[in-house]
Amino acid sequence: MNGRSVFSLVALLLLSPLIAGHAEAATSDYASRVVTVEVTYQSWNEDRPWMKNEPAARSASAVPLDGHRLLTTAQTVADATLIQVTKHGSSSKIPARVLHIDLDADLALLTVEDESFFDDLTPVELAASIPTEGDLSSVRWRRRQLEVSSSRVTRLQVQEVYYGNLSHVFLFLRTDLAGGGWAEPIFDGTQLVGLSTSQSDQVMRAIPATVIRQYLEAVAAPGPYPGLPTLWLVWQTNRDPALAAFLGLEGPPRGVVVRAVPWGSCAFGVLRERDILLEVDGHSIDPDGYYQHPDYGRLAFTNIAIDGHRTGDRIPLVVLRDGKEIELQLTLHSYPARMQLIPWQRKNQAPPFLIAGGLLFRELDGPYLRSWGKNWERKAPTNLVALWKRDRHGQLPERRRVVLLTAVIPDAINVGYHDLRDLAVARVNGRAVDSINALAEALAHPVGGFQVIEFEPNMNRAEVVLDADGFETATARILGEYNIPLGGRQDPPFAMPYGEAQR
Amino acid sequence: MRFPFGLTALALLLVGTGPAIAAPPLELSVVRILNRSQRSNWVAPWNALGTSTSTGSGFIIDGGLIMTNAHVVSDARLLYVFLHNDPNPHQLRVKVIGHDCDLALVEPVEEGLLDDYPALEFGPLPAHRSTVETYGFPAGGERISSTRGVVSRIEMQAYAHSGIDAHLTVQTDAAINPGNSGGPVVQDGKVVGVAFQGTSQLENTGYFIPTEVVDHFLRDAADGRYDGYPELGVITSNMENPAARRRAGMNEGLSGVRVDAVFPGGSADGHLRPGDVLLAVDGHSVANDGSTLIDDFRGDFGAVVDRHQIGEQLQVRLLRDGQVLETAVTMRSLPRLRLLANSYDRRPRYFVYGGLVFMPLDRELLSTYGQNLPLKTDLLYELYQRPLVEPGLDKREPVVLLRRLDHAVNANMAWHRDQVVEKVNGRKIRDLEDLIDAVESNRGRFHVFEFTYHHRFGVLDREQADAANEEILHLYGIPEDRHL
Repeated sequence: MNGRSVFSLVALLLLSPLIAGHAEAATSDYASRVVTVEVTYQSWNEDRPWMKNEPAARSASAVPLDGHRLLTTAQTVADATLIQVTKHGSSSKIPARVLHIDLDADLALLTVEDESFFDDLTPVELAASIPTEGDLSSVRWRRRQLEVSSSRVTRLQVQEVYYGNLSHVFLFLRTDLAGGGWAEPIFDGTQLVGLSTSQSDQVMRAIPATVIRQYLEAVAAPGPYPGLPTLWLVWQTNRDPALAAFLGLEGPPRGVVVRAVPWGSCAFGVLRERDILLEVDGHSIDPDGYYQHPDYGRLAFTNIAIDGHRTGDRIPLVVLRDGKEIELQLTLHSYPARMQLIPWQRKNQAPPFLIAGGLLFRELDGPYLRSWGKNWERKAPTNLVALWKRDRHGQLPERRRVVLLTAVIPDAINVGYHDLRDLAVARVNGRAVDSINALAEALAHPVGGFQVIEFEPNMNRAEVVLDADGFETATARILGEYNIPLGGRQDPPFAMPYGEAQR
Repeated sequence: MRFPFGLTALALLLVGTGPAIAAPPLELSVVRILNRSQRSNWVAPWNALGTSTSTGSGFIIDGGLIMTNAHVVSDARLLYVFLHNDPNPHQLRVKVIGHDCDLALVEPVEEGLLDDYPALEFGPLPAHRSTVETYGFPAGGERISSTRGVVSRIEMQAYAHSGIDAHLTVQTDAAINPGNSGGPVVQDGKVVGVAFQGTSQLENTGYFIPTEVVDHFLRDAADGRYDGYPELGVITSNMENPAARRRAGMNEGLSGVRVDAVFPGGSADGHLRPGDVLLAVDGHSVANDGSTLIDDFRGDFGAVVDRHQIGEQLQVRLLRDGQVLETAVTMRSLPRLRLLANSYDRRPRYFVYGGLVFMPLDRELLSTYGQNLPLKTDLLYELYQRPLVEPGLDKREPVVLLRRLDHAVNANMAWHRDQVVEKVNGRKIRDLEDLIDAVESNRGRFHVFEFTYHHRFGVLDREQADAANEEILHLYGIPEDRHL
């Protein structure tokens, strides 16, 4: 044990009388409750989707669970090509694989083939509730030494999961840990209170044990993974007495105003635009969208959908509609990327794309938009950001997925079109196109000897016309000329990385 | 050209007394213009910004007038001219200004002031690689400066002053610097252009406005009023791809560009349709890349369209459904397009009600966002994309709720910045006047503002807002609730 760990131990012991009510634990208790996960990962090149980017490495933590499982965050193992785990007292890196991943919850389960790996690990016990104050410990391995850092609870706040379609209460801590946010466990004594998911300076954001428990229960449920429930409503505050009165609510404002109900969300067909949502599951909602949580104080009402609930639960709603209070029933379910017309997340798979006659088509999704970098909303083409914003504020059932012409690989066949970029495709050979599969099908049916690609209105070009005769030969020539190896990936039907949108 | 006696005598005298050459008469006609200007504030549209000072050049032409660039005399509160070797400033006024071609005619307030100065004459379009001289008053000194260069390129170029117009432009390697603007570019003693802009991207490049564009401006301005260039009002795309040509039924020998969109109310509305191929304008065959041969140089077919004034006819040959058709298009302006141009010499239109500030959405408003503009997706979409997506959109100008002047009557509104207004009290808003009328004619209990994007809306209590109006205007120092 080196000096730093001794110091941590001493600090913990010194502090312990001050944090009465919180369980105590010795540093050695943690050694068997946290492992290091080293991940080599490689993301897809969103511009040239037949390629992968340069591989890179990241390192994070995980905690052992019963059933020979390790729990970590989904972002830890995103785009992984190799996952290796290391535990205390060992220098060997053991290959691990993903058992289950939920990008919306940002949680993942790993396992190791050799079950004896778990022999000297202690499955962690999840805390029954989240502390709203006091000192906790965040723990990780650093250069073979256990690093236990004091982390003080500063607040509980409901937020959206980064890149995930889920919102729930997060635990915010002020921590001594440097550069955390990579699935470091937060312990109260030896009970797991949360798993860190991001950190900015000394402020750590952690997924609370309550959400972790719900994730584990959902994984254990029979049948296909149901996901974690979320309302995913588009709403606005009801602080304005004039607006409330206009909607028929006299007296002091209550509830929030439903602005839009996205197609695919659990409230679709239940709530309507301009309903005032007064109560959810017995909790009254205030005009700013908060409710009184019995343990955690005031929280954003979107947390109600996940708090103690699972997919399939029916909850009552009280709504003011056309001036009358009515009660409605809502069946909760998740809102995974496959429900989205512009899917925000893609599992570790290539984007759906097609090269035909040198035209590069792909479906519009979150990873493509984010390929413009941190400030993508500023840098990505306005027409694409506008599409995203439109759906973000309530996608409508009559909308479809968007197929883009992202670029043209220059060849004599597509002369005149070489500079086209990022145009939304409306129709191909007269057929509406809302997926790469639909595009491939439409291209198989040229009209009058031509392939005709019509775009949504734009300033650059309304349509592209190519000869159907020699089209496939040209595609093969271009793929060869530009060294684009596709393997079998251009043979329809293509894999649907987001899954088929259910209708 | 009149040639004043006094100066002739002086020139003779100079010849007689020393080796110096007489001041070339050209320099006598080149003037320096000083502009004390003021622009409006597009964020607080009832306020004006501070005054600023700029200088440019100009030259004397027939009729006691001075020609210069529009941008030299834009937003002028006070204009002065400095004549050759005259240390005294003389006040000027703007006679005609053309922002779309960056040209203006100004005249001295004092009658007869220019009588003793020679008026310059205009010459033809200079030949490629021929030598030209510039005259003007660029930065770095008070005296006239002259540079010499060759004609490097003749082409349609964007005019930076309006930001959306492109006209025939001549590029030269003669140095053209700030302050040169409005000065004459001369060849064989005649003005062949008006120096007007440079570029930071290329070295040794200056641009001048050729006589053809100057002529267009002078013909338009002959009645004392400038109406501007007409617009064909189409979006076209190239036909460089042979398959596209075959599908359009273009036989060998036929060339042109595809009409992708026709703006409602534009010149081409009713004459051209999306899918037509534009084959020729005024007998000039249009190539597959949109260029055409004008005299002996190749340029965008727009240069032919540009030769017309509003009300004149453009002969168009087009291919529709395999048939070649001829049609005469009466040229009109396209007012909606001017929303996309920089704006000068006017105060912003606005309306303040219940502390909500409403303004038409145009390029000036967008430019106030500076670096944050790319984040204003709704506004950009409304101004640039929506008219294409909804060609039938009946809107003279989009109206936005720009911001809120906080007051108890509005302080709880959820949306109060940068919102495009679609309906007020159930009525579609086509311009600011519509909005004012929808507000002022309402007798209901509420004003309901429905915004175009993201299902947003807001409500004001009408009686409370009416009662608060005067107080809000007073509180925020707003002299008038509107400027139209």
